Amino acid sequence: MTSKESGIVSGKTPSEAGVELEAERGGISRRGFIGASVAGGASTVLPAVAFGVENSVTETSRPASTPPDAKKMAREVGSSSPPEPLATVRRAASDLMVQVLRDLEIEYVALNPGSSFEGLQESLINYGERPNYMPEVISAMHEGAAVDMAHGYGRSEGKPMCALLQGTVGLQNASMAIYQAYHGHTPMIILAGNDENNFLKVHTGEDIAGLVRPYTKWDAQPKTLEDTLVALQEAYRQSITPPCAPTLVVLNSEIQKEEAGDLQVPRYSAPVVRSIGKSQATIIAKALLQAKNPHISVGRLRSQAGIDHAVTLAELVGASVDSMATFGPMSFPQRHPLVGVGQDKNYDFHLGLEIAAADVSITGPHLKSITDRDAAGIGFGWKENPNLKRRPIPDTLIAEDAEASLPLIINAIESQLTASLNSVIVERIEKHSEKNRSARISSLHKAIEKKRPGWHGTPVSLARMYAELWPMIKDLDWCLASPSNFTGRHHRELWDHDKPYSYLGQYPAAALGYCLGASAGAALAARSRDRIVINIQGDGDFNFMPGTVWSAVHHQLPMLTIMHNNRAWHMELMYVQYMAGVRGRGTDRAHIGTTFRDPYINYAKLAEGYGMKSEGPISDPDEMVAALQRGVDAVKRGEPYLIDVLTQPR
Amino acid sequence: MNKIKFMLRVGFCMVGASIVLSAIASDDLTSDEEARVVQGSGKQLYYDHGCFACHGYNGIGKHNLANDVSAIMTSEAVYLAFIRARSELNPPLPSQKMPHYPASSLSDQQALDIYAYIKTFRDTPPKVDDAPALKAIVEAAQQ
Repeated sequence: MTSKESGIVSGKTPSEAGVELEAERGGISRRGFIGASVAGGASTVLPAVAFGVENSVTETSRPASTPPDAKKMAREVGSSSPPEPLATVRRAASDLMVQVLRDLEIEYVALNPGSSFEGLQESLINYGERPNYMPEVISAMHEGAAVDMAHGYGRSEGKPMCALLQGTVGLQNASMAIYQAYHGHTPMIILAGNDENNFLKVHTGEDIAGLVRPYTKWDAQPKTLEDTLVALQEAYRQSITPPCAPTLVVLNSEIQKEEAGDLQVPRYSAPVVRSIGKSQATIIAKALLQAKNPHISVGRLRSQAGIDHAVTLAELVGASVDSMATFGPMSFPQRHPLVGVGQDKNYDFHLGLEIAAADVSITGPHLKSITDRDAAGIGFGWKENPNLKRRPIPDTLIAEDAEASLPLIINAIESQLTASLNSVIVERIEKHSEKNRSARISSLHKAIEKKRPGWHGTPVSLARMYAELWPMIKDLDWCLASPSNFTGRHHRELWDHDKPYSYLGQYPAAALGYCLGASAGAALAARSRDRIVINIQGDGDFNFMPGTVWSAVHHQLPMLTIMHNNRAWHMELMYVQYMAGVRGRGTDRAHIGTTFRDPYINYAKLAEGYGMKSEGPISDPDEMVAALQRGVDAVKRGEPYLIDVLTQPR
Repeated sequence: MNKIKFMLRVGFCMVGASIVLSAIASDDLTSDEEARVVQGSGKQLYYDHGCFACHGYNGIGKHNLANDVSAIMTSEAVYLAFIRARSELNPPLPSQKMPHYPASSLSDQQALDIYAYIKTFRDTPPKVDDAPALKAIVEAAQQ
């Protein structure tokens, strides 16, 4: 078949090609083109008429057709005069909504398009001197991916980005990702359009926030523009106030399109985060200074400022420190000289910041304290099993925010610190540092002994994957966004976690589908900060929402994805094996429903289809090393890259 | 529950006794074992029964088997006693522990084929100085 016969010219569709050729020849009329389209309704009929091919169509072979009437004609050619608008909008209400988000420095709004927020979306892409910036629209292939992106961004930066969802359907698609973010105490703002005119009735509801209310912290469905602007600010404020969590604003589709008139954006006031009292700070400061061997355990704080204060506190009193930086974001720098058990494990004062400790634990309010949003009493993850032994809540707990409390403690210490005390502390810091350094070297050697076995094996050892990657990225600004509980957690001993975002932690609700989207969200944060994101990606997780690969390419995210391709939902494979053993029925069918076989999935080709540079599958570890370097080089240039590595199961 | 504990105790006693009795007897592959490896049935069974899940495809995994490091692999008798003795009813939580393998699901012959295949696992990890990545990690930590 020739291109003329097929109707395809220069890669264009038949209808596009027909119009161009018609124009070139000054040939057939627009009406003839329309008539043919109406008559044939398919590209196979179009070319003969549209291209004016002689002798190819006779009157007898032409299907019967009727000329379009005036109304149809007008629709086909496009109305030459637009309909009279009911009212001219001079200042769109949704422009003000965008202004609120801009003032709050919301960098991104991830969305999958819908029919209840076209007003807001148009403002996002067109409003202001620099449209589609702060916030920028991010195309997500699934509402869950949009929320996962906001989740990864929120964990990385400690502040919200937005996910914009379509009514009932978008919220339900996103519900699992929202649930995961809720259990992750992750700040984010969810916006859900609600079409008041019932354009799609099934996408609309009276109280659509009720779909996710038990696992959001706060929601509103404002009825006026003014209330909408206030609600957006309150959603931000609630989201970043401990306990941090997703919040939701339901946006009336018609309010978005209103005339804003002279309405101004209301003034935003930052939240007041509850801290310990001054007298408590004084007591804690005194205890830290009087202790011969104080120790501080640091959990997850909220921001870089909080971490800086924790470092200041530890250095002021010469305390050895436990860090949770290898477990999740926003903790004490892992390789700070004071991190470790120090010169002596017998601590005479132990302070916990967002983590339990022996003497005083300052841990902010938990989401469990919000008890009025689960009207149906579902429980959603908070149900305790009395048969399982859990660590008891310490009676040393002060339920206030640690980060907000730190400046008070630091002030109290500075006012009590004497020169003689300071000299003791300086000496203690030296001893701690020396001891911690030697302990670090010793533990590293022990760890490496455990990483060496299987080094040359194929499929690739996960320990080697992490080990080979580290020298390539250690001098870069990097973020490990992927949970590592299924990949051996080898980074904990081999890498240095010294930034708030070095490691974003585990699956907060232990549910797959999060990793790729969250890594893309972390990469959104990284893109403008000269940072790269490492995503060691489980294959089971990847297959929930692989379309996020396209989003990463489209938005040029510096994300290196390395597939942990063990061709299974491996943990569940082992569960089924064990159960089959319990029942004595054999493990040889445990792969059913737990593995990716027949056929195997080629992730490099899949990524290529979405436009991402990729290579693999690779099972030879030496080949993997070279591929890792190519991948790191690519993301340093701002290009996402995927390497499909066939790995050992764990 | 007491019955289960009793069965477990009996099982571990069998394993312990077998280890004592046959530790000295363990040696390199016998001709029978070699034959089974050549036939490849042990490799296939190792894969089909999901041994790789914890022990890796080459005997390096959550629990290493390569280079004869496992006491369970001291002899065929110990190995058989171990996989037969494991038993637990109604575990309260999902578990990734070693499954129980009764003779009804894995015959002695099949089990020994797997045993012979495992015996072929050899691993030669590099010295730190011969693995550039490990060397770089150590050097960076020492700076």
